[in-house]
Amino acid sequence: MRETYEKERQLQLVDAIKANDPIALKEFYMSNYSKIEALVLKNSGSVDHAKDLYQESFIAVWKNLKTKTFQPKNNTALEGYLYQIAKNKWMDVLRSNAFKKTNPLTNDKLIFLKQNDDELNDVKEEQLKTILKAFKNLGQPCKQLLTDFYYSKKPLRVIASELDLEEASVRNKKYRCMEKLRSIVFSSKP
Amino acid sequence: METNSNNISQEQLEAIERYINNTMAAEEQYAFEARLSSDADFKIQFEDAKTLLLGIETQSLKEQLDKFHDDIPTRKTPYTKSPKIRYLQLRRFVAAAMIIIVAGSFWFFNQDTNEKLYTKYFVPDPGLPTTMSSSTNFEFYDAMVNYKQGDYTKAIQKWNALPAKNDTINYFIGVAHLANNNEHLAISYLEKVSSEPESYFKNDANYYLGLANLKEGDIEKAKLNFALSDNENSKALLSVLNK
Repeated sequence: MRETYEKERQLQLVDAIKANDPIALKEFYMSNYSKIEALVLKNSGSVDHAKDLYQESFIAVWKNLKTKTFQPKNNTALEGYLYQIAKNKWMDVLRSNAFKKTNPLTNDKLIFLKQNDDELNDVKEEQLKTILKAFKNLGQPCKQLLTDFYYSKKPLRVIASELDLEEASVRNKKYRCMEKLRSIVFSSKP
Repeated sequence: METNSNNISQEQLEAIERYINNTMAAEEQYAFEARLSSDADFKIQFEDAKTLLLGIETQSLKEQLDKFHDDIPTRKTPYTKSPKIRYLQLRRFVAAAMIIIVAGSFWFFNQDTNEKLYTKYFVPDPGLPTTMSSSTNFEFYDAMVNYKQGDYTKAIQKWNALPAKNDTINYFIGVAHLANNNEHLAISYLEKVSSEPESYFKNDANYYLGLANLKEGDIEKAKLNFALSDNENSKALLSVLNK
């Protein structure tokens, strides 16, 4: 019976991650951290570096699953992919001048890490960064509503009942929040 | 309203959402795709909306990862580069190793046979699969993640905080206590499960109950428990205990 479990689990994990299932994400996140932490700590990094690097890599994997850039055959392939991305990113950090020049410091390295996205030069990546920042600072009611709907995939009627509102007005509110976000993104473009 | 090309109506936004989520009827989808390939402005609007949605999800995920991270147990011994053992130190190292081996085998051979049997057989239940979670059970499965990571104390704490206790929760709290070497507490939870005639976990609960009693040194009780469970390990243990 355990074997059937395992097979089912392999198939489900990718779908669950793509659907932002919090439990699947959390388990995948927690079960792979220690390997990457060990990689960073053994190679002149700190625990803070490990956390940042890991989260960057985790998001990259998640994004590539969503956009179907990467379609793993099984969980081992998925875990290997995550490790490989983290390793490549960390090698880039180690090779960077920012890291070599300033040895004991932490901040510059962290800033470098944050910038070191594979597609940094891509216009789309720049645009995405603007959106991330805008959404991060969006007012709480709108941010919550958009997170519930677009990230947690809660149906409108569920959100409506939680807010004790009519579904139609939540729907309208959601649109207005999107417009608000869009206008912030638009006005903050360089 | 301003009239930049970025503006998008509620209907358009919802159509894009339906398209991305694959919930469009075939006919609408066909029309949508036709417009995407013929109308350049619409294509730009579509791509922008898609990036906006990806941005919302990415930032939400980022914020969630920080919360996940709080549950990662901190490494107790900091990772330090192990200094190379120098020759002179090697001798000391060997001497120390000898002492450890001698003391260890002394301890091992004098270990209580019950304890030995227990260590041979005890493996915590692998837990329930956590990829099919329904949002209503979030807290339960959240604790299951900690359980599977071997953080039994945190798992127990979270399960104990749940308002309603059923046999599934009692079973896992019991096994977690046992894994944490609290056989006494384990017994009280597992007994609740074993006394429920309909429980799916009854079989396994009796097995772990037997192991807990074995560890406590109560062989007679352990035998009774193993007799009530029909899994292979129970049978094997029972035959060893009856020798």
